[in-house]
Amino acid sequence: MSKAGDWRNYKRVLLPPVKDLHKLDVYEANDGYSALREILTTDKWNPTSVTDEVKKSGLKGRGGAGFPTGLKWSFMPPVDPDVPRYLCCNGDESEPGTFKDRQLLEYNPHSVFEGMLIASYAMSIKTGFLYIRGEFADWITHMEAELEKAYEKGYVGKNIMGSDFSCDIVIHKGAGAYICGEESSLMNSLEGKRAYPRIKPPFPAQKGVWGYPTTINNVETPACAPLIIRNGGDWYAGIGAEAHPGPVLYGISGHVNRPGVYEYPTGMLITDLVNEVAGGMRGGKKLKAIVPGGSSTPVLRADMIDGVTMDADSLREAGSMMGTSGMLIMDEDTDMVSFLRRITHFYHHESCGQCTPCREGTGWLENILTRIDEGEGNLRDLDLLMDLCSQMEGRTVCALADAAAWPVRYTIDRFRDEFEAKCKPSLVASGVDLATA
Amino acid sequence: MPTITIDNQTFEFEGQQGLLQFCLDNGVDLPHFCYHPAMSAPANCRQCLVEVGMPQRDRATGEVNTDDEGNPVIQFMPKLQTSCSMQMSDGMVVKTHRSSELVKRAQKDTLEFLLINHPLDCPICDQAGHCPLQNQAYKHGPEGSRFEFEKVHKPKHIDLGPRVVLDGERCINCTRCVRFTREVSNSDQLTIIERGVKNYPMTPPGVDFDEPYSMNVIDICPVGALTSKEHRFKARIWEMSKTASISTVGAKGSNCYYWVKDNQIMKVTPRTNMDVNEFWLADEERLAYSTFNENRPEGPTVEGAPVSWEMAWKAAADCLKGVEGSRILFLGSAWATVEDNYLLAKMADALGAPAPVYLPHVEKGHGDGWLQTDDRAPNAQGCERLGIHATSPEAIKARLEAGEVDVLYVMEDDPVASGVCSASDMSGIKVVLHHYNTTNQTLEAADVAIPAATAVETVGTFVNVDGHAQRLRPAKAIAGVNRTLSMEIGKCRADRHGTPFDKWYNESNLVNCQPGWVALPAVAAEIGLEMNYKGPKQIMEEVSSSNPAFSGATYSAMGELGVRLESTGVTA
Amino acid sequence: MADFIKNPVVGLPDRKPEPVIPADQLHFSEAEKTQIQTWISQYPSADGAVMRALWLAQEKFGFLPPEVIQLVADELGIPYTNAYGVATFYTQYFKEKKGTYVLDVCTCFSCQLCGGFDMLHYLEEKLGVHKGETTDDGVFTVQEAECLGACGSAPMLQITNGAYVHNLTKEKIDALVDALREDKMPAFTSVTLPQDEDEMGGNRRTDVESTETYQAGPVSETTR
Repeated sequence: MSKAGDWRNYKRVLLPPVKDLHKLDVYEANDGYSALREILTTDKWNPTSVTDEVKKSGLKGRGGAGFPTGLKWSFMPPVDPDVPRYLCCNGDESEPGTFKDRQLLEYNPHSVFEGMLIASYAMSIKTGFLYIRGEFADWITHMEAELEKAYEKGYVGKNIMGSDFSCDIVIHKGAGAYICGEESSLMNSLEGKRAYPRIKPPFPAQKGVWGYPTTINNVETPACAPLIIRNGGDWYAGIGAEAHPGPVLYGISGHVNRPGVYEYPTGMLITDLVNEVAGGMRGGKKLKAIVPGGSSTPVLRADMIDGVTMDADSLREAGSMMGTSGMLIMDEDTDMVSFLRRITHFYHHESCGQCTPCREGTGWLENILTRIDEGEGNLRDLDLLMDLCSQMEGRTVCALADAAAWPVRYTIDRFRDEFEAKCKPSLVASGVDLATA
Repeated sequence: MPTITIDNQTFEFEGQQGLLQFCLDNGVDLPHFCYHPAMSAPANCRQCLVEVGMPQRDRATGEVNTDDEGNPVIQFMPKLQTSCSMQMSDGMVVKTHRSSELVKRAQKDTLEFLLINHPLDCPICDQAGHCPLQNQAYKHGPEGSRFEFEKVHKPKHIDLGPRVVLDGERCINCTRCVRFTREVSNSDQLTIIERGVKNYPMTPPGVDFDEPYSMNVIDICPVGALTSKEHRFKARIWEMSKTASISTVGAKGSNCYYWVKDNQIMKVTPRTNMDVNEFWLADEERLAYSTFNENRPEGPTVEGAPVSWEMAWKAAADCLKGVEGSRILFLGSAWATVEDNYLLAKMADALGAPAPVYLPHVEKGHGDGWLQTDDRAPNAQGCERLGIHATSPEAIKARLEAGEVDVLYVMEDDPVASGVCSASDMSGIKVVLHHYNTTNQTLEAADVAIPAATAVETVGTFVNVDGHAQRLRPAKAIAGVNRTLSMEIGKCRADRHGTPFDKWYNESNLVNCQPGWVALPAVAAEIGLEMNYKGPKQIMEEVSSSNPAFSGATYSAMGELGVRLESTGVTA
Repeated sequence: MADFIKNPVVGLPDRKPEPVIPADQLHFSEAEKTQIQTWISQYPSADGAVMRALWLAQEKFGFLPPEVIQLVADELGIPYTNAYGVATFYTQYFKEKKGTYVLDVCTCFSCQLCGGFDMLHYLEEKLGVHKGETTDDGVFTVQEAECLGACGSAPMLQITNGAYVHNLTKEKIDALVDALREDKMPAFTSVTLPQDEDEMGGNRRTDVESTETYQAGPVSETTR
């Protein structure tokens, strides 16, 4: 059952229907920077109460892992005036199937700035880095222009709104590397190093950028902060699925009639999103499968999505994950083998090459899937693929190896017939261990 | 004291310690490639994975939960952890491949991945025989390969610099070499380039990997990706003996191994000594090996004519006999051992000659505050502590020109090359010369020339620039000395495991020379002086017990790592 | 250029290259230097500004030959080696000279299913090059790109690390190639949200002239 309530009458809050909201004056006229003003000018708020309010809202990170935001903020160590601390806002959106951040950055950039400032206030941070992938060059130019206006108005910079809170925002431009979306590799990228993920612990809150305490949030996450401050944590917690509340930017792509970014509460039925929101399947075709939250989240067959809603719990139960809520919809004609081959190519291309299992494993996966896709594979290759997934999962510094292995594991698991149909029969039956046979 | 349990065995430990190093120190042979104790741990090879658990604590009370038998309940981390990056903590429980199937499997899996794009060209690889990857593959690796595709091809036999050659295909991207240039030598000459499976270490265009410590990356490379241009294809590891000794190129006395095949030094590699050179060796210390092999004399000569050793001793003695002590100039040497300089001083004393002096070999500006020193000789400190003090070429020249000297007795040095005077200027005096190489420029003036055993052929002691007394061990045999009787020589694997029919050892390249502690007593005996020692060990015992500046420096105390002597306030 | 998976060869960069940027042009202007100093001041150490400075250099010189990377490193006061390692890590930094217009056609994930490969192959055929290659006249380089984050308007391409062209069709590619041959860059395209179409009658920005709605993409004919 849908957990999104009366979603057909849902009033958008992250991207409200306001013309030119990206312009500072329009943003201001629509309560823009009022949450920040309230925090800085009224006694009601201090860093702890802001964090508590965010905790109360139940906001979970929108980058993929879904970690409770307020809790993450509270991991920062006590303030030491001699030790700088940083906020990193992750706009390196590059998980295939994910395209929501770009729209948010274009249409409501000031909500991201305001959210970053609120987060910085809550954690007593004086510099926030906004990391945007290099491909979004046009959007970076656009954001920089808006940021400059916010500086001119005194919303960012020294003694914001006359208070003793000062905070700078620095926009950092990436240059083409999926791995930079991984938080620790994003930190190395910011530091001007090759973007290799770092081993944890130490966690960013202890030792982040340049070794200083750091918190990293997806851009959509702080964009929720002004809403939470303005309307209260309880209001936010009341939107959508109880255990995973809030408005979400769903990115729907693939074989639907109206692909695009939609703002709705969490807990939407997948079927509602596909059939009603996105206008149903293109050309009247039948739904075959969906990937619910970016390429690394396990694919769901059409028969697995009945009653499944877009929130962490429901998707976990269904055998997948919420991820980035970038949903790919596939129709009945989709060739799952080719599809998987292309995903595997992506991870092979994007592996940073630091850890052995990922550097070597991603290429091996692509090799085998290419062979199968070209009709040269055999049934034992499917066993080998599963084996390689087990050899990669959980064995590397970051989760890219897992992200590469999961689609392979689940796509084969859930569409095995199609893979077998493309394979040549093997002399040895699948599932037989040659060593003991 | 905090404890940790590794494979059901409990250890006590102190302070902050990394798990992998602790395991290695305690005999748990955890496989690893990227970890190196001197550098940061990126945990990228993923070979040292282990299971790690901590005692489960009650959330409310913080007390450790116990099971029915009162043992703490251990909660294992959901993923395997890299032991190199894991800091130990009290109560930690670790399962390695010795007790965990999961860990065993993970190590095998990682190895399989490491090998798929590795060329497996061990038969032509210099690293074969001492290659961590090869060893691991033999011990734990899969027998065949499940990888049925074309391996990734990368640049091969690329001269990274004048001394180091890269084979990109063998590289497993452990980044040790890059970290060495970034964290240890600070030359910043190497980086990993490209991304993913295309990664390999390289210098940026236009840059040569030519830093003075470049060859260390060859030692720390856990595969055969980085090899020595000089040593490539010259000898397999099992054909060489290795002897623990010290480097003689500078005054640092870096600890090293000399690798020998057919009585030739093939290469020099560092030997860990945290008090001296840690894990490293300068390139110049490695490249000096050829001086031990090339231009070596073939027995003693008198007036340029070959003679027997007995004739040589007698001729040297004849030069000294009947000459007033004050008219003999004994020249000690910062190249010679403490033992030999000590005997020389004794001889001078017995003949009533002034104490020997030595010519310093200092090259200002050569030192780098690390392993290279301004002093290019290994034992100036030892000389000073013996009361053999530095002199200058000019001072000697003045004495020679003033006609104050009838006999110049040179111990393993080359005053002509130092600029004292030309060989022909010495024609009026008797010269006895103990020399290493036929390139010695004083040779021309020598009435008696006595080939001397070099630092790789003798037993003795050097004192380094910091007052660290260390032993030299003979790495190769010399003519006339039974190799197996000279107990100090290192053995090769073939010596230990081969049979007499293998013919791993031959008699070629035996240099006909003698160590100072043989030559000086022999000359002394011809003069009629008593100089009876069983060998250098006994000499050093006498030195250490009679000279406070050498207090404690006996052979047994010096062992393999040397002894730090009390400061005497005297600097070389 | 065959796929890496079919022909897995990693080349060696020229280790002693002749500089391609004439010495008298190999410098930053005062304004550029000031800009770089501003970036440096925004980070705790100068290293942080390396990516921005490499971008600036690439825009100035067209690509990043070694001497330009060295120039950037010197301007920042960081080791050249580090800057080179960074430059080779990221795909958007061009280490060799490309065409005037680099067409990055996305074929990843949603684009694959909505005709990304159709567009790539059409473009390859049209320009007579394979992906990774540059046309003989030096105008176009065609590349296959990984997900560019515009999945809702698939298939799409990006022009020289800049403008996105959404909802590609063969006709659109024809028009684009013609325009680029006349050095007419397409204007920035804002993609209207479907909900804005319903609630606001389309474009929510008044400062962007052309805007495009999401369209149901064509069915892909090829997926590789």
